[in-house]
Amino acid sequence: MHSIEEQFEKQLDQALESNGLTPLPEDRAALLKAFTTGREQAALVFSVAEARYEEPDLIFSASLS
Amino acid sequence: MTTELATPGEESAATSTILTIADAGEALRSGTTTSVELTTAMLEKATALNPALGAYVEITSDLALEQAEAADAAFSAGSDAGPLQGIPLAIKDIIKVAGVPTTANSRILDPAWGGEADAPVVARLRAAGSVFIGKSTTSEFALGQPDAEKGFPVPHNPWDVTRTPAGSSSGTGVATAAGLAFGGLGTDTGGSVRGPATVNGHSGLKVTFGRVPKAGVVPLGYSLDSIGPMARSAYDCALLLQVMAGYDAADPNAADVPVPSYTAALDGSVEGVKIGLPIPYFFDHDQLDPEVRDGVLSAVQALVGLGATSTEMELAHADKAQHANALILVGEAYAYHRNNMVQRWTTYGKYTRPGLVRGMFYTAADFVQANRFRVLWCEQVAKALQTYDVLITPSAPTTAQVAADMNPSQRLRQPSYTGQWNLSGLPAICIPTGFSSEGLPLSMQIIGKPFAEATVLKIADAYQRITDHHLQVPPVDALITTAA
Amino acid sequence: MTAPDVVAPEEGALSSALTIADAQTALRDGTLTATGLLREAYATADAVDETLGIYLSRFDETAQAAAAAIDAAFAAGEDPGLLAGIPLGIKDIISTTEGETTAQSLVLDRAWGAGVGDAVVVSRLRAAGAVITGKLTTMEYATGVPDPTKPFPIPRNPWNTDYWTGGSSSGTGNGVAAGAILGGLGTDTGGSIRIPSAFCGITGLKATFGRVPKSGCVPLGYSLDNIGPMARSARDCAIMLNALAGYDASDACAVEVPTEDYLAGLDGDLSGLTIGLDRLLGKAPNRDPAVDAALDAVVDVLTGLGATVVEVELPLWQELNAATRITSRSEAFAYHAPDLRSRWGDYFSATRTGVGAAIAFTGADYVQAQRVRRVGQKAVAALFETVDLIITPTSSVAGWKIDELDSMADRFGSMHTGYWNALGNPALALPMGFSGQPRAGGLPLSLQIIGRPFTESLVLRAGDAYQRVTDWHLLTPAAADRSETAVVAS
Repeated sequence: MHSIEEQFEKQLDQALESNGLTPLPEDRAALLKAFTTGREQAALVFSVAEARYEEPDLIFSASLS
Repeated sequence: MTTELATPGEESAATSTILTIADAGEALRSGTTTSVELTTAMLEKATALNPALGAYVEITSDLALEQAEAADAAFSAGSDAGPLQGIPLAIKDIIKVAGVPTTANSRILDPAWGGEADAPVVARLRAAGSVFIGKSTTSEFALGQPDAEKGFPVPHNPWDVTRTPAGSSSGTGVATAAGLAFGGLGTDTGGSVRGPATVNGHSGLKVTFGRVPKAGVVPLGYSLDSIGPMARSAYDCALLLQVMAGYDAADPNAADVPVPSYTAALDGSVEGVKIGLPIPYFFDHDQLDPEVRDGVLSAVQALVGLGATSTEMELAHADKAQHANALILVGEAYAYHRNNMVQRWTTYGKYTRPGLVRGMFYTAADFVQANRFRVLWCEQVAKALQTYDVLITPSAPTTAQVAADMNPSQRLRQPSYTGQWNLSGLPAICIPTGFSSEGLPLSMQIIGKPFAEATVLKIADAYQRITDHHLQVPPVDALITTAA
Repeated sequence: MTAPDVVAPEEGALSSALTIADAQTALRDGTLTATGLLREAYATADAVDETLGIYLSRFDETAQAAAAAIDAAFAAGEDPGLLAGIPLGIKDIISTTEGETTAQSLVLDRAWGAGVGDAVVVSRLRAAGAVITGKLTTMEYATGVPDPTKPFPIPRNPWNTDYWTGGSSSGTGNGVAAGAILGGLGTDTGGSIRIPSAFCGITGLKATFGRVPKSGCVPLGYSLDNIGPMARSARDCAIMLNALAGYDASDACAVEVPTEDYLAGLDGDLSGLTIGLDRLLGKAPNRDPAVDAALDAVVDVLTGLGATVVEVELPLWQELNAATRITSRSEAFAYHAPDLRSRWGDYFSATRTGVGAAIAFTGADYVQAQRVRRVGQKAVAALFETVDLIITPTSSVAGWKIDELDSMADRFGSMHTGYWNALGNPALALPMGFSGQPRAGGLPLSLQIIGRPFTESLVLRAGDAYQRVTDWHLLTPAAADRSETAVVAS
């Protein structure tokens, strides 16, 4: 079993490849940090269980008027 | 368990010849039949044929007979709630009916889902006096193909049981074609009303997004989902829609738009109607069956004979519109299912899992881009509909495929002609145009402007006044003995 | 005014803080000309721009012609508009007829801005008589931090040039603070108006989403982006908003809600209002203790003005901040994907790694983020049934040193602005004190005032009332002394 960090590194590499991105070597640490934070943020929004049946508008402003 | 059931040969002459809601309504009002008689015949036939056709997840006999008796009592008392009073219907099992479990054909969903009350659209049908024969089969969560291992009935095409009945409103389509209901409710997110209507040989209308409140339906793609009527004829679809349509605040995307009289619009005239035929992709794709195409073009000629005009035109990026619809659908669906997919993967059916999990492989930017494309597609179609009253396309590139040959990845590579209209939110009806050399139904699709259900129904009805493809009945009687 | 540990500003420093409202009066009573005001604004820029990094391009000729036309109109007895003769700068991701729109990037196709001409907001400012002085620095594409390897100025904080202005409306922030312009336009997707306003010690308004049309602006996250005014005072923001607000069909997100005269309600009276305070303690990785002392003083001032301040807790804090981040990065990546694939290295380091990391998010993550936004709107609307306004610190820190920006420390968590982009509410950032000593290396602190959707009038009324009895917004950094003497001399 790989560590969480290794799993994220692997996921990042796969995502970079499938999205056609070729970052510079110097970008790797920042990308991995942002990618890892991103997965945490995604988990955070899915913790809001009551959001499951919301139907946001395509044009967000419609919900404000 | 089927030994005590009547065979169709024992049906009364009155019930066996009634094919449409309109005819049944006349017979009920002239006293040549009763709702109990119609309902009993359909319950018996549904029970006898369900092992072979898999139309129903649950046949609600007690509820149906109770409703039928109430309808007959109302007729006797001179009380008439309208054209659906006493009419047996099928309700797709992804829509809440009070007192009946909702399964969405899934072991994931809590059967108590939806609470105690009818979905608004079911409440409207109930109040109109209709009779609920049962909960009809659906693809799990309205996605993918049936997985027999999960223990739900597997639906089959009544014209050839080795063929697909299409999905996801399979059961309502099969029941309508085989005479196990006069019609009923389907839902359509990428073609789930129209696909079954196409391959089972009847009529099915995807309504304008927001026209029919979709509260009380297990969501698939919330920005694309719609509930639509399925029945033999366009006229019957109009009778159903008349009751189904109208605002309800329980659906955040319900449209507060007045409901016209749909049946009043069905005057048989298509004089001056301008039809656009989008040729690229819809008519010239190399995977389009020539029999399907010729069926559509013959039907268009028939409409031209009635006074319509048709013009070849084009819509750019129709293939991308289909993909964008599929991408948005799985993005929204995966957001709904994500926590269950993580925790209960194997509880989902084997075809549902790969379908839903595609939502994990699209990036958020893909989703955003699909929605941006959606805006451009809607603008293009809106512009075309300034020139044309309706667009006509084939409903599907082929007739019903052999079920054993189908797999999800093959479906992804085929052209599809329905999702484009979920993406644009427009009304679209699919109606039969004849039969292939193999005896399978052919179908065309008529697409209209927003909230112009009356227009597409009127054109479909005008065509059905001069044809009888929609009144053909599949040879299901032989299946009763084999099933028993 | 009770502000502990802070020296009250000297008389001379105050007089240098010319506001748009002051200039309106002076232009009309003949003590100031538009030409003179513009000349001195440019002279200030000439003196400080190399250090501070305010402008990307200047429109001297067209601005001088516009100022001369305004003076001629005044001389002819006309009143050429609300903003007549006021020198304003435009963040360089908003298109103007003059010059190039660069988004401070090597990547943006210069033909884009040339095709747009004036954005709707720029047309509206010009119609109100504003003199458009030039295009101001931004973080590349309105996101990230400076990249010293790229050929663009690095914006510095005029209060302490070792420090960053905050972003991304950096040039508008330090330009107003230094007196090089009287106001300008910023854009705000997660705080890009409010953060530089906070760090530079000025006042900036993110209006309700859809209140100000954003067409003609390079998009970052289209469902979060706002264009808004940045100036010295809440009153100045109200003056600018009077020109900026209102529906325009060219922005698909613009909302058809009637505008108001945002100046009409600025009466200094907060009696009867209930204001909810969330100090956001424990919400940031770092907390400057001066923030808490400043908040205590704010409560005293607001209470003195007749308001009742109650403590509240904002719901779904982390979740809504995550929703903003997911939405912003994903919408940005949808826009940037083709260029990131072909020109990765041309982007600033922070832009390419920040926007590029949107590949972490699935379509379903984006959908769920939008659903959480809706849940949040309902929860905050419920909170607004018990309070009229909400206040928080704009940021838990006063800023970062420029040479610390390339570290990967969590800056986002210390700035408290993105929550309101997820929701859409109007939010005003305004100075409320100092961390350290003004003009001795210290940095401004900022208060954020938030209202219900489309209640910009009330938000501005509260900000203006606070500024009537405090003078944090009139403090100026040493860089502005150039404009003090110059304006008096004109």
